[in-house]
Amino acid sequence: MPTHTLIIGYGSPIRGDDAIGLIAVERLVERGLAADVTALARHVLTAELVTELECCQRVIFLDAAAIGEPGAIAVRRIAPDVTAHSTLAHVLDPAELLAWCQRLFGHAPEAYLITVTGACFDYAHCQLSPIATAALEHLIAQVGNWLLSESASILANSDSTDCGDNQ
Amino acid sequence: MSRTITIEPVTRIEGHARITLQLDADGQLEDARFHLTQFRGFEKFCEGRPYREMPALTARTCGICPVSHIIASNKACDHLLAVDIPPTADRLRRIMNLAQLVQSHALSFFHLSSPDLLLGWDSDPATRNIFGVMRQNPELARDGIRLRQIGQTMIETLGGKKIHPTWVVPGGVAEPLSAEKRESMLKLLPEGLEIAKRTYAFYKTLVPKFKDEAAHFGTQPTLFLSLVTPQGNLEHYDGVLRVKDAQGRILEDQVPPEEYERLIGEAVEDFSYMKFPYYKPQGYPQGIYRVGPLARLNNVQACGTPYADVALAEFHMLQDSGPIVSSFHYHYARLVEILYGLEMIERLLKDPAILETRVRARARSNRYEGIGVSEAPRGTLMHHYRIDDDGLITWLNLVIATGHNNLAMNQAIREVAQTYVDGNHLQEGMLNRVEAVIRCYDPCLSCASHAFGQMPLVIELRDAAGSVVNRLTR
Repeated sequence: MPTHTLIIGYGSPIRGDDAIGLIAVERLVERGLAADVTALARHVLTAELVTELECCQRVIFLDAAAIGEPGAIAVRRIAPDVTAHSTLAHVLDPAELLAWCQRLFGHAPEAYLITVTGACFDYAHCQLSPIATAALEHLIAQVGNWLLSESASILANSDSTDCGDNQ
Repeated sequence: MSRTITIEPVTRIEGHARITLQLDADGQLEDARFHLTQFRGFEKFCEGRPYREMPALTARTCGICPVSHIIASNKACDHLLAVDIPPTADRLRRIMNLAQLVQSHALSFFHLSSPDLLLGWDSDPATRNIFGVMRQNPELARDGIRLRQIGQTMIETLGGKKIHPTWVVPGGVAEPLSAEKRESMLKLLPEGLEIAKRTYAFYKTLVPKFKDEAAHFGTQPTLFLSLVTPQGNLEHYDGVLRVKDAQGRILEDQVPPEEYERLIGEAVEDFSYMKFPYYKPQGYPQGIYRVGPLARLNNVQACGTPYADVALAEFHMLQDSGPIVSSFHYHYARLVEILYGLEMIERLLKDPAILETRVRARARSNRYEGIGVSEAPRGTLMHHYRIDDDGLITWLNLVIATGHNNLAMNQAIREVAQTYVDGNHLQEGMLNRVEAVIRCYDPCLSCASHAFGQMPLVIELRDAAGSVVNRLTR
């Protein structure tokens, strides 16, 4: 059975580089997604997304990070975590969302969190800094490659935490 | 030696707050206060902006309540334009407002309050959370997710997106409803109504277990304020203001929302960034009133939809006579309103006029002052703007639903602390009840104080000199 992959890009569209997950999803959709891939853009992760997670075998969260070298891309495998309670009721952490899925449906998809460290989070409507813009292209290329691969190769690539193009 | 217990921040609410309990030398309660500790200041930084930006700007107050702010803000803008919006636009806005009510009430009941209701006030705090609910009653948790999803989907269908939709505009809505969208929304309603009925029936079986909490969670008499229809029935979008007292006497009725300042004054205290609205004729701080689902149901004769009216009759049986005074029954009232919201949405969608294409009145500003009032899930929401000749905001005031309840919440935590907290033998369950009474009001502190940040829970015991003598961290 083909792996159904769900991509969720999330962030605020009006806080500069925080929009990178949203924009990445937009670009991926423009370039065309395979039939077994679904992409969603969300302001925040909410509980209702658990019904989307239930239906997929693999989920890739795309988010901005505030910590690290601006432009750095980090990939990490994440697992359900019931201790990752969000302190805000309407916003969930990816690991918490996976835990919701695990608890409610008895299973959770294989999951990855890919982040790009932003350079600027000032007010800007879906406008990325030059550093984040450069990283965006690497992010899309990497996600595109990963979509063609199985999870093992994602993990093989995931140890690299910098796309090396953050000038 | 007197001591202070600090509960900071209060958990499972929207936003960030602190509760302090001042104990005397015998460990008995001297005073209790509910603090909002951070400030954002929308009323200041919106000055100088074009009034047409207000719906989008004020919607950013909160990720939970944007629809409520969009509705009230656009109503204030309609008032500035001096237009009556087309009837179909009125109905479409009502649907969105009710969809917001359904999803917000679902979040409050299923996600925030159900851990206490299902697992008990004294259960292990490590598992007294949504995961504990999922373990004990996964169907209830799934129902909560689905009901919220239904409300959010309707908002997205109408507005193009779930959060911060821009479809409601001054003068009406940006585009009419298509037949396809109407059908897609109608298809959601039977399932939503089944969940609402199932949950309501389940909750009725739980209520008798909470006699003690119902007897002590915010039972001091207050007034009740809400919009009602001109006939005195349930209303969330328009209508007139009504104030009723704890004995059921109507003190104010048929008050146009534009005259809210005649009824409501706003005080400030140095211990909180939330304002303290009060009923002007009784003065401050005596003029305590409550808003929100409890107040709305107390103020009306009928909901106007079949299942909700049956539930309303049962709600009134929670007490022998008069308005329901216990704030614990906000939970019950929320479930009645979910029933009402889904039934009313169905009625509005099935009206053929909902597909009419005249949905926006166009005008420039024709007044210097505009007031918009609607019922948000948590209570009456008021947006009040003044503009100059160029349409720029010169002054604005937001009276937030949660703010109306500020005096009542402070009164309620004093009552609960007096009942449950023994400073000499402090137990987590005691403090959880103090938090839980605040959860009854489902406060949205992001709206009320415009606060943001993280909120780990810290409980501190302080002696009279202010030194920390004990500290618990969650």
